[in-house]
Amino acid sequence: MFPFRHLAAALLCTLSLGAGAQSPGVSRDEIRVGSIQDLSGPIAMLGSPVRDGMLLRFEDANAAGGVHGRRLRLLVEDAGYDPKRAVLAARKLIQRDRVFAFLANLGTPVVMATMPMVVEAGRPHLFPFSPHESTYLPLHPLKFQMFAPYQDYMAAATRHMVDSKGYTRSCLLYQDDDYGLEVMKGVEAGLQEVGQVLHERTSYKRGATDLSSQVARLRAAGCDFVVLATVVRETVAAMAEARKTGWNVDMLVTASGYSAQTHELGGAAVEGLYGVAVLPHPYADGASPALAAWIERYRARFGAAPNVWSAMGYTVADLFVQAAERAGPELSTASFVAALENLHTDADIFGGPRYRFSAHDHLGNRHGRLAQIRDGRWQLISDYLH
Amino acid sequence: MLSFVQVLTSGIAIGCVYGLVALSFVLIYKATAAVSFMQGEVLMVGGFTVLALNVGLGLPLLPAILCGVVLVATLGAGLERSVLRRALGQPHLTAVLLTFGLGLIMRGAVTTVPAASHGMHRLALPFGDEPLRLGALAIAPQHLLVIVATVAVAGALSLFFRHTRAGLALRACSENPQGAALVGIPVAAMHTLAWGLGAALAAIAGVLLAPITFVHLGMGLIALKAFPAAVLGGMTSLPGALLAGIFIGVAEALAGLLLPEGGKDVVPYALLMAALLLFPGGLGTALRQLRR
Repeated sequence: MFPFRHLAAALLCTLSLGAGAQSPGVSRDEIRVGSIQDLSGPIAMLGSPVRDGMLLRFEDANAAGGVHGRRLRLLVEDAGYDPKRAVLAARKLIQRDRVFAFLANLGTPVVMATMPMVVEAGRPHLFPFSPHESTYLPLHPLKFQMFAPYQDYMAAATRHMVDSKGYTRSCLLYQDDDYGLEVMKGVEAGLQEVGQVLHERTSYKRGATDLSSQVARLRAAGCDFVVLATVVRETVAAMAEARKTGWNVDMLVTASGYSAQTHELGGAAVEGLYGVAVLPHPYADGASPALAAWIERYRARFGAAPNVWSAMGYTVADLFVQAAERAGPELSTASFVAALENLHTDADIFGGPRYRFSAHDHLGNRHGRLAQIRDGRWQLISDYLH
Repeated sequence: MLSFVQVLTSGIAIGCVYGLVALSFVLIYKATAAVSFMQGEVLMVGGFTVLALNVGLGLPLLPAILCGVVLVATLGAGLERSVLRRALGQPHLTAVLLTFGLGLIMRGAVTTVPAASHGMHRLALPFGDEPLRLGALAIAPQHLLVIVATVAVAGALSLFFRHTRAGLALRACSENPQGAALVGIPVAAMHTLAWGLGAALAAIAGVLLAPITFVHLGMGLIALKAFPAAVLGGMTSLPGALLAGIFIGVAEALAGLLLPEGGKDVVPYALLMAALLLFPGGLGTALRQLRR
């Protein structure tokens, strides 16, 4: 046994000496970045635009001469929201493709399964699409996040709504899983700040077809404000059921329901719905010239209109590019992390938040803003809530 | 009281969809003794096919539905001819795994079309979203459509099995394949017919579900509720399967309204187990005993 161990140690030494100071995934003319997406599974609707948004930002950077002369290459693996496939994908990206960092891995189960491998291999784990605290806490030199947990957004949004509209019986319809429970914690915390408690709550299982009993139950409890911890389809179903039975209660949906699909599918039934927006939806109608040009470029490149997920993909890739620029020509994991820890971004073309990272705080933004569906589209009705 | 009736009608409508998918399970099982685990995916393919014909090719809704159902029925029959026939006479597990695999392939095939997999889609109903008002009761048109269509499909199936040569032959095959073969019924052709009909039923369920849950990749998950309905119906009884579907739909809806939070997810299945304990042969057998 012993000789083998020595041999292995010797081999490792030579390998690391051979690799020199340069970090994996960085060569003289290229930076390789990995991403584990869902392109075929249950949230492929999110994964495809996220990938396209990232691709567009990297292509923009490459067209402008790259980052300090290095071209950016995005390597995307499809895990189909399956943690087992995600582990294989992470291994491939680490060992065979030798990527420099992981960017925007999608889905909490995927992130939970792969994040330990990624940081153990010494690769930065950047801005995963998983609003889970462990993606930035406890502070780890390689973990960075730009999406706060639902809890933070929802506490502020609930407090703001109750404060400004004077609701007295706030209720919750939630998906019976981690996502729903996390929203519940946020709503309860927000209500506590204004001296109220949750008046009634009811849940549904993922994939539920019909929400009539839940809506009837909330109505019977006399709720005057309903928070929805739902995704697009259930948001539409809940609103449609309430309006159908003539119940015109105010409803507020989490960022998961803030999607153009909500009003495309829901039509008149979802008019007046409140939502929490972290990044505004890029509507072509009424866009600033810069945003309109971006939408046109996206459409020309991918043959589809961008949505809020495309904007998020573009934004995370943009943060990567900005940090890599600041890290200077001698790009290494250490210089990249140091640059990211000092990154303060300016306003972007989407009207998204300004991201602030520091050595003590790896979460770039904690604030969402309120939006409402008016005339068949989301309109922002508040600034970022603190 | 009003909310009770309101929820009851929704429960019946969703139960009808469970029932239709359960019918497709039972139809195939009766005729070929194979449990098909691809019915959910067939349902999803049915929804997307009609959507493609309606939105993609611009066919009006009704012809699109007709063509779509026929196409999916052809798909079911074609799969029987090419693949599923080989599972005959093999252990049950072979057909289960085979259909499961075929379901995965269908799902994969749909994801290769970016326009299909990157969003949810609306199948517009000709009579809008305005609810029908009966006094204070409001019934969504899509719920009414589901109930009416289910009654129509059940009636058509019953006529088919009682009064047509093909229907009688199919029944004969399911009762006794050897006997049926001896009197000159083409048993293999009947198997093809059963798979085709089963696929058509799933496609119809998909179309009926489309206005309620929209057309998307995961809409086939409803088969997870329909399969217990088929079991509760006794696996061999068509009216039993339909009744059991409605039973599960109503039990789920009412439990959500009346029981304390947390109870509603358990109770429908506890009831299901109780029903199976009381009538081990399923609701179909119980119905037959009642008639005697």
